[in-house]
Amino acid sequence: MRADIESFLKEERVRQANEVASLNEHTPINLTVDRRNFLKLSGIAAGGLFIGVSMPSSAMAANSAGVKEFNPNAFIHLQENGDLLIYSGRCEMGQGISTALPSVVADEMEADWQRVKVEQAEGDEEKFGSQATGGSASIRVMYEPMRKAGASAREMLVAAAAKVWNTSADNCYAKQHFVHKKGSQEKLAYGELVAIAATLPVPETPALKSSKDFRYIGTKLPRHDVGMVIEGKRTYGVDVKVPGMQYAAIVHCPVMGGTLKSFDKTEAMKVPGVTAVVEVKPLKVPFGSLGGVAVIANNSWTAQQAVDKLKVEWNKGEHGNYDTDVYMAELVKNVEKPANKIAERGDLDAAFANAAQTISATYTEGHLVHAPMEPNASVVWVHDDHCEVWAPTQSPNDIQSVLSGFLGMDKKKIKVNVMICGGAFGRKFKCDYVQEAAAISRAVGTPIQLTWTREEDTRTGYYHSNSAQHIQASLDKDGNVSGWLHRIAFPSINTLFDPSVQFAPANAVGEIENHPFGITNLRSESGLAPAHTRIGWYRAVYAIFYGLGYGVFADELAVAAGVDTVTMLNRIYDANKNAEQAEQVARSKAVLALAAEKSNFGKPLPKGEGIGIAVHYSFQSYVAMAVHVKMKGDDFEVLRVDSAVDCGQVLNKDGAAAQQEGAVVMGMSLSKYCEITFKEGAVVNGNFHDYPVMRINDMPEVHVHFIESDAAPTGLGEPGMAPFAPALINAIYQASGKRYRSLPIQPLRA
Amino acid sequence: MPLLWFLRDRLAFTGTKFGCGKGLCGACTVHVNGQATRSCVMPVGALAGRSITTIEGLSENADHPLQKAWLEVGVPQCGYCQAGQIMNAASLLATNPAPNEQDIDNAMQGNICRCGTYQRIKKAINIAADELAKEVS
Repeated sequence: MRADIESFLKEERVRQANEVASLNEHTPINLTVDRRNFLKLSGIAAGGLFIGVSMPSSAMAANSAGVKEFNPNAFIHLQENGDLLIYSGRCEMGQGISTALPSVVADEMEADWQRVKVEQAEGDEEKFGSQATGGSASIRVMYEPMRKAGASAREMLVAAAAKVWNTSADNCYAKQHFVHKKGSQEKLAYGELVAIAATLPVPETPALKSSKDFRYIGTKLPRHDVGMVIEGKRTYGVDVKVPGMQYAAIVHCPVMGGTLKSFDKTEAMKVPGVTAVVEVKPLKVPFGSLGGVAVIANNSWTAQQAVDKLKVEWNKGEHGNYDTDVYMAELVKNVEKPANKIAERGDLDAAFANAAQTISATYTEGHLVHAPMEPNASVVWVHDDHCEVWAPTQSPNDIQSVLSGFLGMDKKKIKVNVMICGGAFGRKFKCDYVQEAAAISRAVGTPIQLTWTREEDTRTGYYHSNSAQHIQASLDKDGNVSGWLHRIAFPSINTLFDPSVQFAPANAVGEIENHPFGITNLRSESGLAPAHTRIGWYRAVYAIFYGLGYGVFADELAVAAGVDTVTMLNRIYDANKNAEQAEQVARSKAVLALAAEKSNFGKPLPKGEGIGIAVHYSFQSYVAMAVHVKMKGDDFEVLRVDSAVDCGQVLNKDGAAAQQEGAVVMGMSLSKYCEITFKEGAVVNGNFHDYPVMRINDMPEVHVHFIESDAAPTGLGEPGMAPFAPALINAIYQASGKRYRSLPIQPLRA
Repeated sequence: MPLLWFLRDRLAFTGTKFGCGKGLCGACTVHVNGQATRSCVMPVGALAGRSITTIEGLSENADHPLQKAWLEVGVPQCGYCQAGQIMNAASLLATNPAPNEQDIDNAMQGNICRCGTYQRIKKAINIAADELAKEVS
């Protein structure tokens, strides 16, 4: 057992280190599926036409059993009555992926969307390809495979009709769930063609539609699940009921790496309805439990009440003195003196020596917690030889990996029913809450629904890195940027996988070297920043503070040079002579120009108002935001936001706009309100009264403008996050002359 | 036991959501005698003889003007807070069928949406209010 766990740990470290690399910006995510095999086999499987990542060879055998379904791949099930089931392999958390990707399949397949039912695929990467949903990668990675899946099915249905009519496929065409014979009134419904299509080979290289023939791609196709939501019928992870299920609540060790000293369950066990108290040991693998004590009862509320009656004492361990105020002061110190050099080009010292003027600034940002409206929750049922999970998750395969190691079961014995997340924002990539439910289920022998309270969700989560960065730049006599020193310090996500990491590693600081600004003389440095809590991906991850640093400092340079921000930004981009970055430069400038135009940037405004602008390239998409503020004493109101977006071909204009609206709201939350504070090792905040987030009264008008493009589509879950805060800070400067350099930017923190 | 948990764990009416447990976020909003109420802090024992409406019972066929407007506008992202938003808005329109922007802000301030659908919520409430005005005239 011990050896098993050790080898599991080793494998997990390697795998997850790779995953970290793949989730970092600028590192392309490789589809784990071999594209050559992606659309290889076809056949009639149990219940329809099935097109997937790969098909077991036995799929053909089902044909002779007379099952009436066409399954050219794992994603497509076409029934004889024409009903079409399309699976969403990627996880839904509100970003709309379970509509966007199936609509691509349906478009290429010439399916009638009214006949489509979308289902969430269970965790099975062999069948559906990578299901890890993060890094704004789903559309970028899955668009082409989904088009091919749909196009293959279409070609097979056309070929089947050609067979029926004894003509060539060229004489037939597909349109809206029918194959038509050219020059005649004859047509065959897709359902009628199921049995024949299922016997045909899957085309290796199906012809894709021309973009002018798109039916759903590029439209505002409504979400497939809105109807369920407005009736309260959408089943989230927290809503799952399983026969024999018991309910659990948990209190965690408040400090990373701490241990349980003692607990007294006497009073908790006296609460009517309580059946057990279970110690959940810390699991020292990434995404394992922090460790805690759980109460099991016949309803969640009773379990929560009884947890409060536990008398628990902890050994806080080595991070028991973590204090974010003290730590932030250290980070600032560590970036305001020389740090570890990461990258260098040109001659920075000479640039600084010859400068007409040099300016510098230090920017800071605190920890954030995701705070999705649905706290961590899942149902797990551990049996002797298998395990079933119902979980809101961004990564079902991680659940399988972690539970496989924890329970000592083959991954294939762990069935993961992927439930929609009631918000996730990166939190539900980490499955500690599922592993805890598994620990409890194994201990008590029944299915367990573990729901964290809001307080546990706030206090014992994974936190967005706090950060400090110091930028110093020189301007020549013409106001051109001649040199750029950028020092940054933040506890990195790599510390989750290797606690010995003390500095943000080169791949996490690579943003500076790779930034599309044209900086000839550059040096980047990484300052000391060990982790004292669990650091995790938070929507947009490091782009939040890089966006802050670059976006505000560009504005400060503009002020120093006596030009407006757009002029300065264009000047810096134009100085980039690296041919490999020409596209990044051009697309960045284009969104900047669009945001400036739509917001009337530079127009005269009443006293006390200002428009600020910022642009950021992240997750391979380009977003510029112009924010219009009106000062109200030291406070401010955001009147309007213009967001200009280049994400290549837009799959769903309504969904894409929604992501920008959401980024503005989350951007406002972290700009104005959100900060997690640690004292004596533990989080001080607990619920929405002391971890406030933006509410409806702060909502500005948001206008989203897309660059018309045929470029390969890229994701939008995160890219809107980076430019909001700097654009807001720049707007406040315009309106009031006050320069904020910290997030959140409440006046009281100035 | 608060009404929220009675609904969810005893009656398996899971349309009403748990968000904060302290009446701070509005995800658990239901109607008690027609009035928006945070079910997570409302003891079920205090409700004898009262009429409770949850999202599941807001309309017969999902045809409350707010539900129709929510569909038209495409409000939800993750959707988790939306039952509470709709129930709260329904209570607002029942007492103030023609709310202005300030009325909407005041009434809806207790309902958090982390996905950031506020702009669409406002729009949908305005559409539903217009619809109600037509029904009356």
